[in-house]
Amino acid sequence: MNPLIFTTILMTVLLGTMIVMTSSHWLMIWIGFEMNLLAIIPILMKKYNPRTMEASTKYFLTQATASMLLMMAIIINLMHSGQWTITKVFNPTASIIMTSALAMKLGLTPFHFWVPEVTQGISLTSGLILLTWQKLAPMSILYQISPSINLNILLTMAVLSILVGGWGGLNQTQLRKIMAYSSIAHMGWMTAVLVYNPTLTMLNMLIYIMMTLTMFMLFIHSSSTTTLSLSHTWNKTPLTTTLILITLLSMGGLPPLSGFMPKWMIIQELTKNSSIILPTLMAIMALLNLYFYMRLTYSTSLTMFPSTNNMKMKWQFETKRITLLPPLIVMSSLLLPLTPMLSILD
Amino acid sequence: MLKIIIPTIMLMPLTWLSKKNMIWINTTTYSLLISLISLSLLNQPSNNSLNFSLMFFSDPLSAPLLVLTTWLLPLMLMASQHHLSKEPLIRKKLYITMLTMLQTFLIMTFTATELISFYILFEATLVPTLIIITRWGNQTERLNAGLYFLFYTLMGSLPLLVALISIQNLTGSLNFLLIQYWNQALPDSWSNIFLWLACMMAFMVKMPLYGLHLWLPKAHVEAPIAGSMVLAAILLKLGGYGMLRITTMLNPQTSFMAYPFLMLSLWGMIMTSSICLRQTDLKSLIAYSSVSHMALVIVAVLIQTPWSYMGATALMIAHGLTSSMLFCLANSNYERTHSRTMILARGLQTLLPLMAAWWLLASLTNLALPPSINLIGELFVVMSSFSWSNITIILMGANITITALYSLYMLITTQRGKYTHHINSIKPSFTRENALMALHMTPLLLLSLNPKIILGFTY
Repeated sequence: MNPLIFTTILMTVLLGTMIVMTSSHWLMIWIGFEMNLLAIIPILMKKYNPRTMEASTKYFLTQATASMLLMMAIIINLMHSGQWTITKVFNPTASIIMTSALAMKLGLTPFHFWVPEVTQGISLTSGLILLTWQKLAPMSILYQISPSINLNILLTMAVLSILVGGWGGLNQTQLRKIMAYSSIAHMGWMTAVLVYNPTLTMLNMLIYIMMTLTMFMLFIHSSSTTTLSLSHTWNKTPLTTTLILITLLSMGGLPPLSGFMPKWMIIQELTKNSSIILPTLMAIMALLNLYFYMRLTYSTSLTMFPSTNNMKMKWQFETKRITLLPPLIVMSSLLLPLTPMLSILD
Repeated sequence: MLKIIIPTIMLMPLTWLSKKNMIWINTTTYSLLISLISLSLLNQPSNNSLNFSLMFFSDPLSAPLLVLTTWLLPLMLMASQHHLSKEPLIRKKLYITMLTMLQTFLIMTFTATELISFYILFEATLVPTLIIITRWGNQTERLNAGLYFLFYTLMGSLPLLVALISIQNLTGSLNFLLIQYWNQALPDSWSNIFLWLACMMAFMVKMPLYGLHLWLPKAHVEAPIAGSMVLAAILLKLGGYGMLRITTMLNPQTSFMAYPFLMLSLWGMIMTSSICLRQTDLKSLIAYSSVSHMALVIVAVLIQTPWSYMGATALMIAHGLTSSMLFCLANSNYERTHSRTMILARGLQTLLPLMAAWWLLASLTNLALPPSINLIGELFVVMSSFSWSNITIILMGANITITALYSLYMLITTQRGKYTHHINSIKPSFTRENALMALHMTPLLLLSLNPKIILGFTY
C-alpha cells in the first residue's frame, strides 16, 4: 500500500479510538467507533486474497451490528434521561443492550465466534492491532458506564469467556487462533472485576496488551504462524526461544512473572467483595489456558520438535528489526515485585 | 536473611561470567560458603525471637530446612557435572542458573513472614523445576511428567490463594508473626470447612498425599539428577512446612477434617511401601519410598501434638538427606549403564566396594536404623500416633517392616550376588561421587549426636 495512504488510514484508526475515549457526547462515541471500524478494514485487508476478504467481512458485519445495537442503547438512554452526556446509563434495558453491544465488540462469549476466524485470516501485524488496539475503545466505554452494568449478565459473560477461551484454544495449532482464544479468556478476566474495581480492569488491560504485543512481536520476528514453524526458532535465534518461554508462562499467569499480578489483584478484589467460589472457578479455568501455552513452550523451547534434516540449516536472512522488543519483554515478565506500587492508583 | 539471599542471587552473574574451566569450581565453592553462613541460623534462642525484618524471619522449624536447602545446592552442582559435561557452555550455565533461581526462591519461601509472599514464592519454585525436568530430562516421558507436576500442584494451590486472601480479609494481616498472637478459633460452618480444605489441599498435593501422588514417580524418574535431588529433598518438604505453618490457624476444624487425610496417609504409606517391593526401576523405587515417608509426615502434622511435630520436622530433614543420597547413588548407576533397571547392574559390591559402603549406609538410614535421625523421626511419629489411637500401631509397625524389606531388597539386588558380565567394564567411582556421598552422609551421622536442632519448635 502507498505509505501515505497507509499512514492516513492508520491515523484514522487511532483518531477513532481517541474520539471514543475522550468524548462526553454519546453520538461522538458512536462516530468514533464507526470511524475506527471503517478505517481498520483496509488495514485488515493489507494482503488482497479471499482469506483476508472473508475475515474482514466477518469483522465488519459483527462490529457494524454491535455499533447499531450501541446506537439503539444510546437512543433508549436518551429517551429515558433526556441528555446525551455519558454518565451512567439510566435504563436497565439500555444498559443490557449496551453491555451486549460492547461485548460483541470485545469478543466476549457468547459473541466470541468472530475472534478466532478473523484473527486467523489476517496477517500477524494486523492481528496485533486487532487484538490490542481495538480492545481499548470498548473497554473504555465499559469503564465509564461500569456503575450501571447489570452484574448478572456481565459475570455470566465473563465466566463463559474464560471457559471458552480455555477450552477453545486446546485444539489449536495455529498461533493466531491461539492468541485469539487467549484474548477471549483475558477479556473475561477483565470484565469480571469491572463492577467491583474498574481500575483493576485497566491494569489487566495494560498488562495484557504488553504481553500480547510481546508475543506477536516474537512471532513476527520469526515469521511463524503455526506451532510447527515456531518450533524452528531454536535454529534461527536461540535467544527468542527463551523469551517465548518466559512470555508464555507470564501469559499463563504463573508467579513470579508479571502475568500473575492482574490475576492476583482480581482474585483479591473479588474475595474482598465476598464472592469466593467465583474467583476459585476463574483461577482453575485459567489453567486450561496454561495448558496450551505449555504445549507451545514444549514444542518451541523445551524440546527439539521433530523436524526434517534440512530444517537445521536454514538460510539466515537479514533479521527484522523489531522496535521496543527488549523493554516489552522485560515489562511483561518482571513487573510483579512492583505490585505494592499499585496503591498509587487509588 | 539478606546475607544468604543476596549471595545466592549473585551466584547467577558468577556462572555467566566464569570461564569455561572454572564454572563448576566457582559455583560449588561459593554455594558451599553460602551454606556455611546459613549454619549460623541453627543457633535459635529459646524465646523464638529470631526475626530479621518485617519480611524475613527464621524459627526452629525453618532454620533446619534452610540449612538443608543451602547445603543441597553444592551437592546438586557436584552431582550434575558428569551428565552436563558434553553440553555446550551456554547450556551448562543455563542449567546452573535454573538451579540457582530455584535455590533463591526456596530460601525466600522458607523464611517468608507474609503468607501471600510464601504463596508466590511457593508457586515460583515450580517454574525452574519444570524447566529442569522438561529440558534436561532423558526420556520422552519427561513432557508428561512436567505437565503432571505443574498441573497437579497448580490445581491444589489456586484455592490456597483464594483462601489466604479471604483469611487476610477476616483477620486483617497475613504476617505469620502476628497471626500466632491473634489466633482465634474458626467458627463452625460449611464455608470454614471449605476454607480448611482449600488451605490444606495445596500442601497435600505437594507432600504428596497417597491419592494425589501420581505426579511424583513421573517427575522424580524423569528429572535429571539435580532435579530429582531437589524435588525429593526440598520441594516435598515445602508441603510439610506449609502444613505445619497453616494448621496453627485452622483450629478446631482440624480435629474432624483430618480424618480422611489421616486414613489416606496411613493406608497409603503401606500401599506405596508395598509397591516398592515390586519395582524394577530403581529411581521409581526411591520415588515411592519418598511418598511413604512423607505419608508419615502428613500423619504427624495432622495429629497436632508436640511430639508429632518434633517427629515431623526430624523426619523431613532426615528423609531429605537420605532420599537425595539414594538418588545420587541411583544416578551413579545410571551414568554407567544408562538404564534404571535394577537387575541390569547387580553385584556392584565386587566391582565398586566403596560405593557399596555408601549404598549400605544409605539403605540403613532409609530403613530408620538407630541411632540415625530417621529413627528419631519415625519413632516420635509412631509414638504420637499410638497415643492418638492405639490401632495405628499395627499399620505403623507393618510400614516399618515393609520399609526395611524394600530397602534391603534394593541393597541386595544392586550390591550383592554375582555381577553380570556386561558391567565388568564400568568406570570406577570418581572422587567426586565419593565426596558427594560423604557430604550427604556426614550431616546425617553428625545430627544423630545432637538431634535437638532439627526437632523443631516444640522441643
